[in-house]
Amino acid sequence: MSPLPDMNHEDHTMNDHEEASVSRNVRPWRRAVKAAGLLAGVAFLASCARNSPQDTWKPKGENAQKIDDLQRPVFLVAGIVGLIVVIAVSYAIFRFRDRGQAIPKQTHGKPALEIVLTIIPFVILATIGVFTARSIIDLADTDGCEMTVNVTGQQWWWEYDYPATPANQKWGIEKPIVTSGELVIPVGTCVLLRQTSRDVIHSYWIPALNGKKDAVPGRVHENKLHADEPGYYSGQCTEFCGLSHANMRQWAIALSAEDFAKWVEDQQRDVVAYAEDDTSPEAEGYRAFRQNCSRCHQVNGMKNADGTPTIAAPENNIVAGAAPNLTHIMSRSRFAGATYQLLNDKCNERLIKAASDQVGAIYLEGVDPDCLNRKDLEQWLRNSPEMKPMYVKPDEQGRLRGMPNLGLSEDQIDSIVTYLQTLK
Amino acid sequence: MAIVEQPRTDIALPAGAGAPAVITPKEAKGMFARPVQPEGWRDWLFTVDHKKIGIMYGVASFVFFIIGGIEAGLIRLQLAAPNGKVLSADQYNQMFTMHATTMVFLFVMPMASAFANYFVPLQIGARDVAFPRINAFGLWTWLLGAIFVNLSWFLGGSADGGWFMYAPNSTRMFSPTNGVDFWALGLQITGIASLTSAINLIVTCINMRAPGMSLFKMPIFTWMIMVVQFLLVFAMPVITVALFLLSFSRSFGGAFFDVKQGADPLLWQHLFWIFGHPEVYILILPSFGIVSEVLPVFSRKPLFGYKFVAISGAAIGFVGWGVWAHHMFASGLGPISVLVFSMATMMIAVPTGVKIINWTMTMWGGKLTFTTAMLFSIGLIVEFTIGGLSGVTHAVAPSDTQQTDTYYIVAHFHYVLFGGAIFGLFAGFYYWWPKMFNRKLDERWGKANFWLMVIGMNMTFGPMHIIGLQGQPRRMYQFDEANVHTRFWNAVSSIGVIFLTLGILAFIVNIVITHRSKHPRYQTTLDPWDARSLEWMTTNPPKAHNFDAIPTVHELDEFFHRKYAEDHATGEIRQVATAEDIMAEQEAHAEKNIHLPSPSYWPLVVSFSLPIIGFGVIYNHILIAVGGVVAILGIFGWCMEPSVAPAEDYEPPAAPTDGATKELTA
Repeated sequence: MSPLPDMNHEDHTMNDHEEASVSRNVRPWRRAVKAAGLLAGVAFLASCARNSPQDTWKPKGENAQKIDDLQRPVFLVAGIVGLIVVIAVSYAIFRFRDRGQAIPKQTHGKPALEIVLTIIPFVILATIGVFTARSIIDLADTDGCEMTVNVTGQQWWWEYDYPATPANQKWGIEKPIVTSGELVIPVGTCVLLRQTSRDVIHSYWIPALNGKKDAVPGRVHENKLHADEPGYYSGQCTEFCGLSHANMRQWAIALSAEDFAKWVEDQQRDVVAYAEDDTSPEAEGYRAFRQNCSRCHQVNGMKNADGTPTIAAPENNIVAGAAPNLTHIMSRSRFAGATYQLLNDKCNERLIKAASDQVGAIYLEGVDPDCLNRKDLEQWLRNSPEMKPMYVKPDEQGRLRGMPNLGLSEDQIDSIVTYLQTLK
Repeated sequence: MAIVEQPRTDIALPAGAGAPAVITPKEAKGMFARPVQPEGWRDWLFTVDHKKIGIMYGVASFVFFIIGGIEAGLIRLQLAAPNGKVLSADQYNQMFTMHATTMVFLFVMPMASAFANYFVPLQIGARDVAFPRINAFGLWTWLLGAIFVNLSWFLGGSADGGWFMYAPNSTRMFSPTNGVDFWALGLQITGIASLTSAINLIVTCINMRAPGMSLFKMPIFTWMIMVVQFLLVFAMPVITVALFLLSFSRSFGGAFFDVKQGADPLLWQHLFWIFGHPEVYILILPSFGIVSEVLPVFSRKPLFGYKFVAISGAAIGFVGWGVWAHHMFASGLGPISVLVFSMATMMIAVPTGVKIINWTMTMWGGKLTFTTAMLFSIGLIVEFTIGGLSGVTHAVAPSDTQQTDTYYIVAHFHYVLFGGAIFGLFAGFYYWWPKMFNRKLDERWGKANFWLMVIGMNMTFGPMHIIGLQGQPRRMYQFDEANVHTRFWNAVSSIGVIFLTLGILAFIVNIVITHRSKHPRYQTTLDPWDARSLEWMTTNPPKAHNFDAIPTVHELDEFFHRKYAEDHATGEIRQVATAEDIMAEQEAHAEKNIHLPSPSYWPLVVSFSLPIIGFGVIYNHILIAVGGVVAILGIFGWCMEPSVAPAEDYEPPAAPTDGATKELTA
């Protein structure tokens, strides 16, 4: 529990004293302040009962735990110092108010007392400083990390690229995995994030797992995540990055070693390339997608009519030069900067409320047809800038920042949604 | 350009409240005419009187306070409930950018300038500042720059990059409207004003103190203002450089922040915060100065550890240069940099703590009266302490990586800036109102004002601690219950704004009542608070020339020591003179030949050239040349005009017409 409510409470206490001594005709205020304090206290307890997914005081991993171990005593010390100041001021207000006493002696201070009162805060802070220094060095150490993910921010989504490095190959990553929005990591492992950005500065933050670190264009910043147990951890971009900053979300999904291996295997599969004369609804959707979406969105394994691979060229269309790879979109639970649910509310509840030993299994199910949040997905295809503010006015090179309204017909939308559901 | 006491001929003493009147030249000589005895609005427009300039700073920045407050109100309205629809994402981004810009550059800084202009010369026993025309230039340049920034609202949208304006999000590619141009150029203009005023006040503090006033007898408010001016002199050039890089990137194809061409966006962050952190002290130290004046007066004791407070103010000003990167703990600095800045940030808490301790000790053993000014000062001690302590929690860099860019930070700096800087300014309003306007603000309305603001600020900003620690980031136009369960506290915070608004309305009502009503309650005596420093050793409001006779200073709290003496036998403090006695004595020894600097058109002319250049950069480069010509002509005219009109310009001395002046000349 944070000591902050104490601080607020102290504040009210002080107000009471002050009022009592200030003037008798403001008495009714005193009751109002007390009532307000009581109400705030009750409300605070009520709000505590609900577990906020981004609570910065509920660490679920080694790094966040180190931060928490450091911040709790600091908050405590700050609370105590605050209390002392408030008590001292309140006492002075009460004790030394004008009761007709003589004009006090004009003392200009007591140097010895002042030096002591300067040394005390210095010593407190120096003590905090020692522990802080240790934590800073600890948290910056990335030597023990067994896996690397390249994390790239752009307006307004995160891309994750799991390169097939020797270290990553130990986890079964034989060819690069490119995904977005949801970072999937194995539990109990130090995962090194190598962060950068394709446009403006963003910041990667999963409060339960670690503090935040900016993703700056032209620089690579290292960050590390470590989850103690399987889970579904919420986060957001925390560096202001333009219009839809509020809609740039990220999640970290920690899976057990077996579940993670399964996820890796699934992600490395290419999609089925439908024959050009196939008239199934899925094949219709495949062609509609290829015609309308594949300029920007890569789907690994998709083929053009002439049999050559379909390669997306977002660099021609998007300022940041990238759009989410949709090869396994239905293995994720969210889309569009991880802001909107792919799962309907019922299935979403089941995922986010899942017990630690269930999360992996539920997450790996992906989006089943009866779980699909068809409404949001269709609306997104119909008019995405209306759902999520984006700059759809092209720049001089005709590039956009975000997905424009593509003017799709309802038939095309149905068809594309049908196809997307095959991309598990 | 200082107040030159030359030529010293006996000159007019027209009828007045028993004092020599301001002498303005009747006609001008040379090729450039100067204003001759302007009256009404022209008097205000061309004045170089530090008191009038101070009042204009105050009135204009209060208007911007209300504008910034409306912006804040809209932000809280949008965030009163999840998925707010009051503002669009774009409008919201403009709103928080301009709210911060307005409050920092267009309210707190100029309001501190208002007090500094008005009271520094009075506190040090001077007749004006060192460079009165530069002072006028500072006012008009600031005001025109401020208006320039706000014009963007009507010309295609305001800046939308946040007040910190991180590149490359602020470059034309990512912010295509002209908002950021107006912002950068407007702040460049207000920066010129800050720089000139800073140099002016430094010279004033160093050169123009009354005889006997050593630096350690200088009133603490003036001390803090002097520290702030040094900070400004060194901080403004840094932001000037940063703003030039930004403007050139946006308007002339500069590649300073273009990553593809090898730029490093962290350059902007370092420049901005090397300015930005001292700026924090620029905002808070004037208020520290004000409460350090108010607390001793209403405790009837000198400021405890005056030298410690003065030195710790200077120490804050000095160490304040070594902590800028604590705004960048998450931006990817190496661990050693983080470590060093983390430690430096903790250390700056020590001199700040010294001030809190000294204020408390000032009250200790005193004889406290709880006027509104005193209440705001005590309010500052408590609220600022809360803000300072939450500051220590994120001086701890690892814990800051959880807190930065969340509402916890918003809570922190509002406790520091609202509970600190703004409470201090309100203490100043109530304390110095009788001095400035010869009316006493109503204490009952004042108390309503204080309590509404205390409740309002704790209700608005207190919950933000919780909202932030629950993980709600800043600068989001909407929040969503799926991520952060902060609906309740966001609602409380928004309701708090109602109390804040009522508090500020109470202040405005107070002013109106005080100045409209004839009731004796609003009349003030010469020395309503039994004050301690020199500014109270003159009339309310002070005469144009401030003091009939420049006092010789023997003590810190000179005025108090002229009124009271310690009985050596009993140790009792006894009154030996009243303010009226001291005033009468001063009038009896009035100096005869008081020359004041004469009004001038040129500061206004030179000021006007700057927004013209600004418009030129944005719309049409020819205007840059036009503005340049106006500036050069203005500076030329200014140079050719003597600061004090020559003796032959004055009217022949008139005969004294009333008793007081007869006595004076006798």
